[in-house]
Amino acid sequence: MKNVSSFVLLAALVALGVWLWFVLSPRPEKIIRQRLTNLARTASFSSGEGNLAKLAAVENVAAYFATNVEVDINVPGRVQHTLMGRTEIQQAALGARERLSGLKIQLPDINLTVAPDKQSAVADVTVDVSIGGERDSIVQEMKFTFQKTADGWLISRVETVRTLSSAILNFAPYRAPFIVTA
Amino acid sequence: MPRWLRILVIGRNPKVTLVRAAVLVVICVLGYHFNALRHIRVEGISMLPTYQDGSAHFVSAVPYWLHEPRRGDVVSIRLAGIHVMYLKRIIGLPGETVAFVNGKVLINGEVLDEPYEKLSSDWTLPPEKLGPDEYFVVGDNRSMPAENHTFGKVERDRIVGKTIQ
Repeated sequence: MKNVSSFVLLAALVALGVWLWFVLSPRPEKIIRQRLTNLARTASFSSGEGNLAKLAAVENVAAYFATNVEVDINVPGRVQHTLMGRTEIQQAALGARERLSGLKIQLPDINLTVAPDKQSAVADVTVDVSIGGERDSIVQEMKFTFQKTADGWLISRVETVRTLSSAILNFAPYRAPFIVTA
Repeated sequence: MPRWLRILVIGRNPKVTLVRAAVLVVICVLGYHFNALRHIRVEGISMLPTYQDGSAHFVSAVPYWLHEPRRGDVVSIRLAGIHVMYLKRIIGLPGETVAFVNGKVLINGEVLDEPYEKLSSDWTLPPEKLGPDEYFVVGDNRSMPAENHTFGKVERDRIVGKTIQ
């Protein structure tokens, strides 16, 4: 009986140690997923936001990106933006908050690949954007490249993925008029 | 516990019931993992009138374990994952050339018969050759402007399964 108790206690201690190890030193995959989710939450907003709150949110959004970040968003017929550096991201984020009545960003799928040296990672992400006052959401696949820096994992590049490609359709994909949710 | 209730809950032979339950769990887990049957909810109008906005259906990868996707199949196409997918109809198969002329689809220069296409269309788009692993997919509702419609070439590995009506 004493042996059984000792074994159970040892197993519990090992489990606790493993749990603490995962909590105190989370894997890059977990950190990056969390950062993407937090970025989506920070970039989302609803109407009636105050000016100070807007500025604070824009600062927070920019903090997820590297100073020399390149953002190439190309959803033909809808959004075409190339942004270079944090300052342009801040301007774009502020402009969106000024123009739109609301924005909700969700990331239903994040497919992550961390480089063997654990210094960079690529996230293939489904981005679902709902704009205030519009019925249909925009669904677009995007690729985020992360670099590990002294400030943590920062986004160094964002680019549009053409899920359905077509040379005859420079305008597709536009909206996601037909999506399914599993 | 009364005998009838015991039989109802765990069967006449608990061991056999346990094995059956375990097999059922394994089938469910494998079925989900390999997309044998997946519930979907449609959003949007690009597959009208065949699939209505808000309607619920199932997608299954099982047909494509037996054969490759066929023309006319309505398939789900993954983006970064399978929680949000496109739902489209295959009109072009690998190696074919697809074009649109005054709303008609031309496959290798021949008009494609599309009985599911109920809404009038005026799309005219130049021919496009598909690669050895590419399919051409499009929605049934081509009455909407082409620039509002998501369609084009897709690689085979993005096709998750076939829609079950």
